[in-house]
Amino acid sequence: MTEKEGALLIPCSGIGKVHGLIGREAVFQALEGLEREGAETLCLALIVTGDEEALEAIRSRPCITVDGCPKLCAYKNVDLAGGRVIESVRVVDAFKGHKGAKPGSATSLTDDGWVIAGELAQHLRQSCKTAAGSMGE
Amino acid sequence: MEQAELKVGIISCSGEELCEGTISRLATRKVLEELRPGQTVTICLPLFLAGDEQERAFARFHPTITVDGCDKRCAQKGTETHSGPVSASVVVTEVLGPEIRLSGERSCRKLAEPDRAAVDAGAERIAAEAEAILGEPQFAEEAPAEEATAGCSCSLSLPVGEVAIDGRTVSVVGLPLIFQQLAASGVKPEPESANRLLEVVKIYHSVEPAEEAAFAAGLLEAYRAYCATHS
Repeated sequence: MTEKEGALLIPCSGIGKVHGLIGREAVFQALEGLEREGAETLCLALIVTGDEEALEAIRSRPCITVDGCPKLCAYKNVDLAGGRVIESVRVVDAFKGHKGAKPGSATSLTDDGWVIAGELAQHLRQSCKTAAGSMGE
Repeated sequence: MEQAELKVGIISCSGEELCEGTISRLATRKVLEELRPGQTVTICLPLFLAGDEQERAFARFHPTITVDGCDKRCAQKGTETHSGPVSASVVVTEVLGPEIRLSGERSCRKLAEPDRAAVDAGAERIAAEAEAILGEPQFAEEAPAEEATAGCSCSLSLPVGEVAIDGRTVSVVGLPLIFQQLAASGVKPEPESANRLLEVVKIYHSVEPAEEAAFAAGLLEAYRAYCATHS
């Protein structure tokens, strides 16, 4: 798969909550080892400003959004701009199985937070590989 | 009566493609948490499109500083387009001196010493801009408490509303405008609306978690009074 066909992982990077940081870090981790699948990330802010190159990318490549809260900023911004969302991931779902975890803050993660980010990254990696496999068919 | 608190808004780009986006984000967090806690407030830039009119009004209610990681200036442009005028804009690459060479890492776990120095430099610049805004005459502490409006660098006059919370009166800057927008969007002054009122006000005014229930009840009463006189 060429670099420009791989999935786009787009986190909300919410600055007010730890979930935003977990989603962001999970995307960075997921991208390590996804070079063959050509997955990349993209600045969500470029979609907010209507950057033509960014809009073209989200409309032509499968997008996986990662949101830290029910506002679903990443999903809504990509969807509103005509992007092709193949999966809308919610960070809160990654907290299942981690009852009582103290993940940190919107500035820094604790060990608990990094574990959750790592698990979320695993999920995102698998989603990107599935998307790459589907496109190769 | 508690003084009306006007806070400086800070909106960061958090650009995911560049390490400078991480620097912007962390510099903003440092100002919010360490350098100017209680005087600054933030909102997620994407909420201008994903959220509602209350969220888009952010830069009209607060003198706003935007923080960008590159010269595309997404935070500045996004705020000016969807919310309101910007009082100051900071681009972290323009703040950094030639001696700071970033590592290029985006993850906060992998930041090197130059990256942390960049965060500090960015935070100092943002804090200085906030100080300049807060130091303007209309924000000076000696401003008479009985003034019913608060000015801002955007040349807008912000009305102040009052809420009764546990026997004391709290002033909330912009409350009449918030009520106006909620009424226009059809929010009824009923018990079911209390949490919605609280959610919106929390965007612009800090509320201690222990006080949220009382604040919601006070807001509902204030909103009922507003609707009774503006129907």
